[in-house]
Amino acid sequence: MEPSEDWLVESLRLYQDFHAFDLSGATRVLEWIGDKGILVSGYENLKKNEILHLILPLRLSVKENQGLFPERDFKVRHGGFSDRSVFDLKYVPDTRLLVTSGLPGCYLQVWQVAEDSDVIKAVSTIDVHEKEGHLWPRVAIFSSAAPGVLHGTRLSSLKVVDLESQKTTYSSGVSDDELLSSLQVLDTDTFAFCCTSGRLGLVDTRQKWTPSENLRPSSGSTGGRWCAEAGRGPGPSIASLGSDGQLCLLDPRDLCQPVSLVQCPVSTPSPDPELLRVTWAPGLDNCLAISGFDGTVQVYDVMSWDGIGRQVEPLFTHKGHIFLDGNGMDTAPLVTTHTWHPCKPRTLLSAASDASLHVWDWVDLHAV
Amino acid sequence: MPEIRVTPLGAGQDVGRSCILVSIAGKNVMLDCGMHMGFSDDRRFPDFSYITRSGRLTDFLDCVIISHFHLDHCGALPYFSEMVGYDGPIYMTQPTQAICPILLEDYRKIAVDKKGEARFFTSQMIKDCMKKVVAVHLHQTVQVDDELEIKAYYAGHVLGAAMFQIKVGSESVVYTGDYNMTPDRHLGAAWIDKCRPNLLITESTYATTIRDSKRCRERDFLKKVHETVERGGKVLIPVFALGRAQELCILLETFWERVGLKAPIYFSTGLTEKANHYYKLFIPWTNQKIRKTFVQRNMFEFKHIKAFDRAFADSPGPMVVFATPGMLHAGQSLQIFRKWAGNEKNMVIMPGYCVQGTVGHKILSGQRKLEMEGRQVLEVKMQVEYMSFSAHADAKGIMQLVGQAEPENVLLVHGEAKKMEFLKQKIEQEFRVSCYMPANGETVTLPTSPSIPVGISLGLLKREMAQGLLPDAKKPRLLHGTLIMKDSNFRLVSSEQALKELGLAEHQLRFTCRVHLHDTRKEQETAVRVYSHLKSVLKDHCVQHLPDGSVTVESILIQAAAHSEDPGTKVLLVSWTYQDEELGSYLTSLLKKGLPQAS
Repeated sequence: MEPSEDWLVESLRLYQDFHAFDLSGATRVLEWIGDKGILVSGYENLKKNEILHLILPLRLSVKENQGLFPERDFKVRHGGFSDRSVFDLKYVPDTRLLVTSGLPGCYLQVWQVAEDSDVIKAVSTIDVHEKEGHLWPRVAIFSSAAPGVLHGTRLSSLKVVDLESQKTTYSSGVSDDELLSSLQVLDTDTFAFCCTSGRLGLVDTRQKWTPSENLRPSSGSTGGRWCAEAGRGPGPSIASLGSDGQLCLLDPRDLCQPVSLVQCPVSTPSPDPELLRVTWAPGLDNCLAISGFDGTVQVYDVMSWDGIGRQVEPLFTHKGHIFLDGNGMDTAPLVTTHTWHPCKPRTLLSAASDASLHVWDWVDLHAV
Repeated sequence: MPEIRVTPLGAGQDVGRSCILVSIAGKNVMLDCGMHMGFSDDRRFPDFSYITRSGRLTDFLDCVIISHFHLDHCGALPYFSEMVGYDGPIYMTQPTQAICPILLEDYRKIAVDKKGEARFFTSQMIKDCMKKVVAVHLHQTVQVDDELEIKAYYAGHVLGAAMFQIKVGSESVVYTGDYNMTPDRHLGAAWIDKCRPNLLITESTYATTIRDSKRCRERDFLKKVHETVERGGKVLIPVFALGRAQELCILLETFWERVGLKAPIYFSTGLTEKANHYYKLFIPWTNQKIRKTFVQRNMFEFKHIKAFDRAFADSPGPMVVFATPGMLHAGQSLQIFRKWAGNEKNMVIMPGYCVQGTVGHKILSGQRKLEMEGRQVLEVKMQVEYMSFSAHADAKGIMQLVGQAEPENVLLVHGEAKKMEFLKQKIEQEFRVSCYMPANGETVTLPTSPSIPVGISLGLLKREMAQGLLPDAKKPRLLHGTLIMKDSNFRLVSSEQALKELGLAEHQLRFTCRVHLHDTRKEQETAVRVYSHLKSVLKDHCVQHLPDGSVTVESILIQAAAHSEDPGTKVLLVSWTYQDEELGSYLTSLLKKGLPQAS
């Protein structure tokens, strides 16, 4: 049997559900619209990329009698064309609007998802005034009656722009030019930022720039590039991931003292640190997933982590993108992004550089 | 204006009633004749009144083509041919011809016996309908008549499924029916050559779907079977089509071997009987790799799969059984179902669509209490799984096929145009073609520019060549001839040839013009001067000085004569045929300007 057949047999034990799709173009974006649809978008250079709104197969959305739903396919509900590569895409909740960021050109594109047809149409742009042509701004959305778009390439260029009026409602106002790697809105007034250096902070937009921050990661870290995500719940709810495989957990109440710093068993350094991603599971306590080092997605239980320098083992590793590489390309695929299903606790979606898209529900083999 | 017209028939926008009317260069073809499985009344049939409101269908339609045996493509055929009335040829592939009547008969039995329908086609009608069928081979050009030809291409999807090219002269349409672009365990992938049809007709549902991989579907099947068997349960798999059953058997056998499972797998006798028959149909229809597998093993020489005996249904312990018929509407599969339904450890896996009225349809709708004969109620506690193994193309696949065939236009059926702008744009952009999406009952008209071949007589060509300088590949050259249209044949011949064929005498029209020149020399010398002058000016033309003193410029004749009254004036007679009007006029005006002074 071929290795892929072997893996498939193994997979019977490892996954409840498993779906594998081939998109027409690889995506770096997996953004939810509600809990039944996702948005993906191409990032190829010099080509018309597609932005697609895909509806999940019905059997993944129904709660009962799953067996009576034979449909296992995604439906393309809406689509649009982007002349640029899209590196980030955010849905504006309670609207029909999307904001994308990419290259070339320093602006954010605002799109509208049509109601009576299948078109995603470009409607306006938000100027970013970025002089350096190779940087693309990170984006996050303040959702409210008057949605605001938080964007920036560096700490100095961090701004919140009102989506409708395009007026700037907040500006970091600092000259610090550290590069940003991620932005995340936490509630109506606060957001978190993470710089490529690993420096991260929580900002209250009602005040002048006084974020609670960490010290630059020192002991044990050899630099590299970092990204982060803040979860909900008490305790160490901020996870920060470095391109050398280090995972740092922090408590938002005291960012200066990391709760734990572990070394993940991944092949380092990451071939494309911009693809690093760490996400908290919305339906499981103390679980997070990481990707961006190779063709796998790893899930960790961080419950008993403490101290510095520990070696940890993942609770689960998704290897589907490596074994189901149908293209037979010489270079192994790289996972470009992943996301958790908002309702099904152990279901994830992951996308890779070979345009594959997987939906998988892993089995917790450690559970009693 | 030459055009191709396409009308998808039927009311409503629903999928599931494939029937498309195509008019191409005066020929009318009906593509598929499907039944809508969701309706029990006349809405399940296509609306044939669109075809022609008066006159017989047989006179209007040149042929009917059926792409494959699924009921939503052939279910209305006996109704159409025997109850509405059509006696012309019905084309389909051999496996389709073999399997269609069986499915139609099954369907008829269910409709009449189970649902008590009155106005339904009879068994005899099915037989009479099939008598009108002409079987075709893949890639074989079939002449329907002198002008209309059709050709079948491999479509994958199911046994015998084909895509059809319909051609009249230089105009052609390709209809895909249902097809699949990725090979599976027993069928290859669809393939078509770069036939560049004016129009490609296909399903819109494909283009809006991104399909889960074949492997994941198989995985789901194996997982369900494995879990059931592990807990000591029994798995019933009702099947019809041998191809699908064979595929699942190979899958199970490989898995059983790999994992070392011991539970027995059985294949019901109903299937083994039909085995040899299908085997013969099957082999030419699979790809190389699969053909080798079949040749290596006999259909039923599985290590782990044995022939089923009725008594085994009562044996304790886990087992897997493949049984007919596929919709649990009668026979062995229904018998086994009744025995096993009451145990929640057991499972039934339905691998395909079940027609309304069957037990299969009921349990797939979620019914857990079934009324059987004698008012007995059967409680269904076993797990019911609906799995779709049918291979269809998706968004990626449709783009691949369009890329292979290179049509000028694409037409998608069963979609709502208003809702499919993105899709239309995508196809139009990618391939620079126009994309149409008619509603059922709506006609799309495509203008075409058919090329009309004209034969040119060799003599005419040769004469043109002899007349002057060789033709310049980059410049158009005016040629005179006569077009003869006879018996759908076009020929370009010389006028003399045409006149001869028509038995007419030729008349010649010549123009003569006089140009007065002041020249005191003799006519002969004037002629020489004229010759030299024209020779130097008209470098592109053949200028000659004939022994009798006249000058010719191609076929134009110039003669110099003395003026009757004035010896100092010479009269040039310029004479040309009407074909050379342009050159003649030009020469005349040129000569009127006078001759250069002799040196």
